[in-house]
Amino acid sequence: MIEPSLALYGEAFDQVEQHLLDLLNATGVRYCLMVDRKGFVLSHKEALWAPRPPALDSIATLVAGNAAATGALASMLGERTFSEQIHQGENGVLYVESIGDKALLVLIFDSSVPLGKVKLYAKKTIAQLESVLDNVGEAPKIEFDKGFSDTAGALLDDLFG
Amino acid sequence: MSTINFAAREINCKIVYYGPGMSGKTTNLKYVFGTIPGHLRGEMVSLATEDERTLFFDFLPLDLGSVQGFKTRFHLYTVPGQVFYNASRKLILRGVDGIIFVADSAPNRLRANAESMRNLRENLVEHGINLKEVPLILQINKRDLPDALPASMIRAVLDPKGELPVFEASAHEGVGVFECLKMVSKLVLERLSQPK
Repeated sequence: MIEPSLALYGEAFDQVEQHLLDLLNATGVRYCLMVDRKGFVLSHKEALWAPRPPALDSIATLVAGNAAATGALASMLGERTFSEQIHQGENGVLYVESIGDKALLVLIFDSSVPLGKVKLYAKKTIAQLESVLDNVGEAPKIEFDKGFSDTAGALLDDLFG
Repeated sequence: MSTINFAAREINCKIVYYGPGMSGKTTNLKYVFGTIPGHLRGEMVSLATEDERTLFFDFLPLDLGSVQGFKTRFHLYTVPGQVFYNASRKLILRGVDGIIFVADSAPNRLRANAESMRNLRENLVEHGINLKEVPLILQINKRDLPDALPASMIRAVLDPKGELPVFEASAHEGVGVFECLKMVSKLVLERLSQPK
């Protein structure tokens, strides 16, 4: 497969969640996500006061698509990568930064939150997350047996008729 | 390969609709979006131009439900079919788990079908994906056109060895849409329970 697959589980997953929570609390951002390069949400934290977030699936997909397109641009322009993307609107900011080659950190926050502070803490968190991801070993092997195929087949019948 | 999130007990599979421009990839997705009940699907995201041509991709998440304790989801994507958007197509193929190739039955699109299939094979090779390891379904769309080419002729051009599962479809009426999606989903999930 082409993109590195992250199999987060156990202690590594707990550490990631804790780092995201610390970042959320230190910066005052609304939503904090770690997504993989394929556009799947690996972990997500939101401030207690924040309203219900928009569809995270769609955000992760668009962010990963955007990052992939930006990466392709970087390579065409002779850069190894453009690791950081900032989108500033009238009311809010979307900040995306690479966590190594494996994942992306996505922060969504109000314009009133100082960007410099967010960047400072984000860089610190990214170093911590990189270290966690570097130490993630092989995922536990799960044996999906024939029962898996049968159950999946029944659910597919329900969904698609 | 599918992304398995052990902590959240989720299996996520990426399915891509590929094919030449105007063959009906977005129409497939719109039909799925319009037919599947709201609680089993997310919002459809379309990155299209003003004249409704796909610019980057369309995206639709579907929830299958829980399979042996794993919440199983499909992420459906379309690629932009127009020839000059190949850079975007390549990006969308990253991490693909299953492909539905949507072919156009119109006589003047036979060459476009063939070029798109060749482009798919080239892009997969460039990504280092073994064609035999990714489930690929051939959907021969627009069967309701009055001058539609015989399906056997289209198949002979796109799948001369007769290796691919083939479905005839009229996506704008919903004919053949779910059959293809069901088949590719089944093949993708079966791969998870097959010994490597």
